[in-house]
Amino acid sequence: MSTSAPATEIAIHRSGSQRMGFFTDTTVCIGCKACEVACKQWNDLPADGSQTGRGVSYDHTGDLSASSWRHVRFVELLEPSPQLREEAQRALDAGAGGKLPAIPAAGAIDLVDAVQAASVADVAEGMHKLGDWVFMSDVCRHCTNAGCLDACPTGALIRTEHQTVVLQPDVCNGCGYCVPACPFGVVGRDEIDGRAGKCTLCYDRLEDGLEPACAKSCPTDSIQFGPHEELVEIASRRVAQLHARGIEGAYLYGAGDGPEEELAGGLGAFFLLTEPPERYGLPAHADSPVQENVVPATVAAVAAGLLATAGTVAAFAVAARRGRTTRGARTW
Amino acid sequence: MSTEDRDITPALGTRGGPGRWTAAEPGAPVELARPDFGDAEWSYLYKTGDTDYAGATPAPGLVADANRRMRGAPVSEVNGPFLHAPVWSGMVATYFWFGGIASGSAFVSLACDAAGDHRSAQIARKVALGAVAPAPLLLIADLGRPERFLNMTRIFKPRSPMNTGAWCLIAFSGSGALAVGCDLIGRPTAARSLGALTSLFGSYLGSYTGVLLACTAVPLWSGSRTILGPAFVATATATGAAATRLVLVASGLPDGHPTRTALGTIETGSMLTELAISALGERRLGDAAHALARGRPGLYFRAAKSLVALGISLRLVARRTGPREHELASFMYLAAGLLFRFAWVSAGKASAEDDEVVAAMARDRHGPHDGPARPWQKRALSVRRSPLPVPPALQRAYGEAVRHTSLVIERLVRR
Repeated sequence: MSTSAPATEIAIHRSGSQRMGFFTDTTVCIGCKACEVACKQWNDLPADGSQTGRGVSYDHTGDLSASSWRHVRFVELLEPSPQLREEAQRALDAGAGGKLPAIPAAGAIDLVDAVQAASVADVAEGMHKLGDWVFMSDVCRHCTNAGCLDACPTGALIRTEHQTVVLQPDVCNGCGYCVPACPFGVVGRDEIDGRAGKCTLCYDRLEDGLEPACAKSCPTDSIQFGPHEELVEIASRRVAQLHARGIEGAYLYGAGDGPEEELAGGLGAFFLLTEPPERYGLPAHADSPVQENVVPATVAAVAAGLLATAGTVAAFAVAARRGRTTRGARTW
Repeated sequence: MSTEDRDITPALGTRGGPGRWTAAEPGAPVELARPDFGDAEWSYLYKTGDTDYAGATPAPGLVADANRRMRGAPVSEVNGPFLHAPVWSGMVATYFWFGGIASGSAFVSLACDAAGDHRSAQIARKVALGAVAPAPLLLIADLGRPERFLNMTRIFKPRSPMNTGAWCLIAFSGSGALAVGCDLIGRPTAARSLGALTSLFGSYLGSYTGVLLACTAVPLWSGSRTILGPAFVATATATGAAATRLVLVASGLPDGHPTRTALGTIETGSMLTELAISALGERRLGDAAHALARGRPGLYFRAAKSLVALGISLRLVARRTGPREHELASFMYLAAGLLFRFAWVSAGKASAEDDEVVAAMARDRHGPHDGPARPWQKRALSVRRSPLPVPPALQRAYGEAVRHTSLVIERLVRR
């Protein structure tokens, strides 16, 4: 298992440096968004405007972007659909035998009724789902196989001595190729500024021996910063402890995988999750799209290009011969 | 719009400026800094300290098993957004069109020379140069920082299709311009060999755009990685032949001349190839192809197909009526080519925003998974499922090889 970048890719060398990263433990995140604020302040990022139009959620950031490098994703289901509500009501009406459907936040009143109506085990199940509100502080993954870094045509995106992926704003010309090349939807291009932007893992702070702003500000230590190897060890212990407590769904997204199941070669910033990745807007598998596709696509494309040239030449040869033998017989 | 236009007025007080303090002496420690990022020491988890799970020891394979189980677990819901949609505007699609016409005309100039029609070859070279002229302007206009367009050429990076494409565009324009120059100063042999070189560059210029789109995380594009290049090159050949044909007709190439016949055959043949490749791609893509069928991209795609069909029927009718319908058909192919480009580029945006498809493709990519499948997983999604079972270790080695090869070339060129 090699979860580090090839030495040839590292653009900045410094003796004694090691891979640094983030371990984001979603089980202790309280959704305070202190990391977002700290990130904006330290990196001097502009506000995104108030998007209260999202309405259904307290999460007004919505998504990572060129000007939001940390984003606390609110994984929430506040309103069950009318159909589910009906189903729950029917289950309650059916009495002791009825099972509560797994409705997150089905409504406190229904559950109070359920305590009287249904068996205890079913209520416990219902109550468990009631608290189905998860936070995840999202950030650039600093992948080992970084799609953005592979795609960047100017070399603005580089691998630093901490094996993080950093965008040099003085080089970026805003071509926008890194935006769709990121399999995690991290990189964005700022409409006004014109350049791409993403988390640098506070490269400037790291240079001066300080931990990144978001990790510094996190009140519950949901965001932990440190040498990647140590973080993986800490995270594995945390998973073991949660499993021992009965939270069997706890797992790591982006670390501790077998060599064939790594996400983008292993993530520098990885997460502890308790639900399937799709609930958090994370793909179940990912790799650098460039490394996956560039060779087959180029072979097919160039072969087709040469074939088209040959076809054009052949069409002319055929037409010339026909023109000589039966002139004017077949005209286009 | 520039950076100055952004409203950065603070809600309270006045806007801050640059600090007035003087820089610390180089190498001096920053306040609060500790060796080994020791400023993180306040954390109760620092160096696996006195937490209640510091002593927990995971059984071997526990974490990997948990990861595998949960990443393969049945999905109750898909919460987007997953990807960022591409930010490219219509200028990129238009650039694809112009670049396609240029490379198609370069093929034609080579073929004309090979068939001995040097007058038409000269004109085709001029068409190629004329078509490639707006290409860099369109690309530069689409950049977020147009004044930095030359940064594309500060490195040579084989793994980045946009970088190789920029170099190819420069090579194509350069040799195309030289070829036309040689024509003008009366050096036919040099012009012909330069034209052949231009055509060689054109075989990449007309097809790399497909590679460019394929090397993204967008399901529609990366799912059709072997489809896009050939489809784009077919469109390029058709539109290039159509443009050259129209210019040749305007310059007085007589009706019934073999060049006109050949160009007509090429136009229709490549457009039919394009349709066939697209149909094949749609079948292979399954759900991801919906982005090409719905909404505005679907409209473009259907319009393009209709124009091709109309062009072909005009060709058949015109066999009896006369040459004017042929010209009309060529115009239709040109318009169809532009619509194809817009359809593919705009469908990518729709595809990236289709969270269900993104999630499904990510699951499908690595074969079947544990746990019962949800209905949306059961749908026929044949995206990138290779006919041969490739061992994951080999796939990984292949990915590594690509990157290492590129890195070696990047470093060699830099020195």
